Amino acid sequence: MLLFAVSFVSCKQDGEYHTITDKIEADQKPYHGDLSSEELLAGTELIQITEGEHTFLIPERKGQIKSYACIECHSKPLNEMKGANGQKAHWDLKINHAAIETMDCATCHNPDNMNNLKSLTGKDIDINLSYKLCAQCHSKQFEDWKGGAHGKKVAGWAPPRASMTCVNCHNPHNPGFETRWPAQFNTQKVEERKDGLGH
Amino acid sequence: MSNRKKWFSLDLGPHNKKKSSGNCGCSNPQGSCDSGPEKEELNAEEFYEAAINASIGDERRKDGFDQVFDVQMDRRDAFKKLTASLLIGAGAISSCTSVIQDPDSKEKAQIDWEEQFKGNYKLMTDEEKKQTVDRLMRSYELRTGKNISMSSKNAEEDVLFGYAFNISKCQGYMDCVSACVEENNQDRKSQMQYIRIHEMKDGKGFNFNEADDNYYHEVPAEGHFYMGTQCFHCDNPPCVDVCPVQATWKEEDGLVVIDYDWCVGCRYCMAACPYDGRRFNWSKPEVPENEINKNQHYLGNRMRKKGVMEKCTFCVQRSRKGKNPACVEACPTGARIFGNLLDPNSTIRWVLENKKVFRLKEDLGTEPKFWYFMD
Repeated sequence: MLLFAVSFVSCKQDGEYHTITDKIEADQKPYHGDLSSEELLAGTELIQITEGEHTFLIPERKGQIKSYACIECHSKPLNEMKGANGQKAHWDLKINHAAIETMDCATCHNPDNMNNLKSLTGKDIDINLSYKLCAQCHSKQFEDWKGGAHGKKVAGWAPPRASMTCVNCHNPHNPGFETRWPAQFNTQKVEERKDGLGH
Repeated sequence: MSNRKKWFSLDLGPHNKKKSSGNCGCSNPQGSCDSGPEKEELNAEEFYEAAINASIGDERRKDGFDQVFDVQMDRRDAFKKLTASLLIGAGAISSCTSVIQDPDSKEKAQIDWEEQFKGNYKLMTDEEKKQTVDRLMRSYELRTGKNISMSSKNAEEDVLFGYAFNISKCQGYMDCVSACVEENNQDRKSQMQYIRIHEMKDGKGFNFNEADDNYYHEVPAEGHFYMGTQCFHCDNPPCVDVCPVQATWKEEDGLVVIDYDWCVGCRYCMAACPYDGRRFNWSKPEVPENEINKNQHYLGNRMRKKGVMEKCTFCVQRSRKGKNPACVEACPTGARIFGNLLDPNSTIRWVLENKKVFRLKEDLGTEPKFWYFMD
């Protein structure tokens, strides 16, 4: 027993750890070093959000939407704007997001208040905070996103943390990823394997 | 050197090197080559002395002095006089065609000389590291007329790099592979790639024997999942242990790196790596001049040469500036997560603590700093 204890101590003294997890645990501390993502983020308009125990930055959205504010066009109720003589808008939008029994335009948009989004219970959601809308159904993805397991950083690994928000990667009207051809095909590898040189 | 070539190939001066190394060390052991590694800068006189010493060993074949003048005199003096009048310096040694002293070729030769006899990067002081990258940048400028930026930035304190890969998210687009090749100046001729994306059949588990890492069809393919491998920057890297010349080592921030100028190309590391993380330059790497990434690091994406190992460095030229590696930035699905393992507030730490993570061949005890997880 004593021998065991001694060997354990001497092991520690060497500064060696049995596993990388031990090493991380022993040496960890919040990073306040020289490296920062601030410079990389300089060109991006960001807003800070706090969700649960996580506080981080996400890109501002309203400024990126060309036709915002919506009420500049949506000045009267939708049924009054419909008709042959009106200018067609949003003709290119096709909703490919859940079944039509589950979702339609009005699930997220409020015809009486076009400048904001609408929660399932009819509460306003700021367009800048559209992730709150997505989180109503996609709660698992929301958890992962808050922690950083789902989604991408805006730039850099160093603090401050700035994460892309849902709509930076997913088109809310058609959120799935398309199938496509890979960016690469290694013809050399094919040759090598034909000659039996590959692994 | 001809500038008409469309393809740039790194030429650290096989001519020059062959000449200077052939002439010196081997045939004349008491010559200046011994003093090479210690000397950081040779002044003009010392350099002359060194160049002359270096040349004498070869004079039997090359020096026509005796035939021309038929004078019996001390060869050393004779050669000195001759060089004084003919301005034989580095330029003449390095280039048989040029007898006129050209300051550029002289400088080139001096750079080659100092590069040839420099020490292992791992053992260099910061000053020496800076000098070697300065030399390499100047050398590139002299040879191509173009400028590159090369960093010798050391590991930051309190940083340990780690990586997580989401198997559920990867769609097999291989945008990471393209970004990696472009970022790291990998040989286009042999189509070297650090990253491999394996297409695996659902329900078969991680079956690398049946997986395809060179598919070409629309992805994601029905009934398949995708996972990527590259250098895992093991905390207990077997590749480092086997290197007979210590040309590869683990840096303070956990990156396993290679000094391309110290590597002898024995490929022991390639055999030792259980993950196929290492690549060998069987031929001289070729990258079109206009595609060269000029933002370089000594331990990262600077141009390699024939006969040396290379591999993923987690884009040391980027990560040590706070950026994400090129593969992380290029991934359109967010399957790749990179960060500081020592920072409890980092997203990589959240993944390790909250997702069910695993590593490849964990039983080997290599302790990779590259984890896989699923949604």
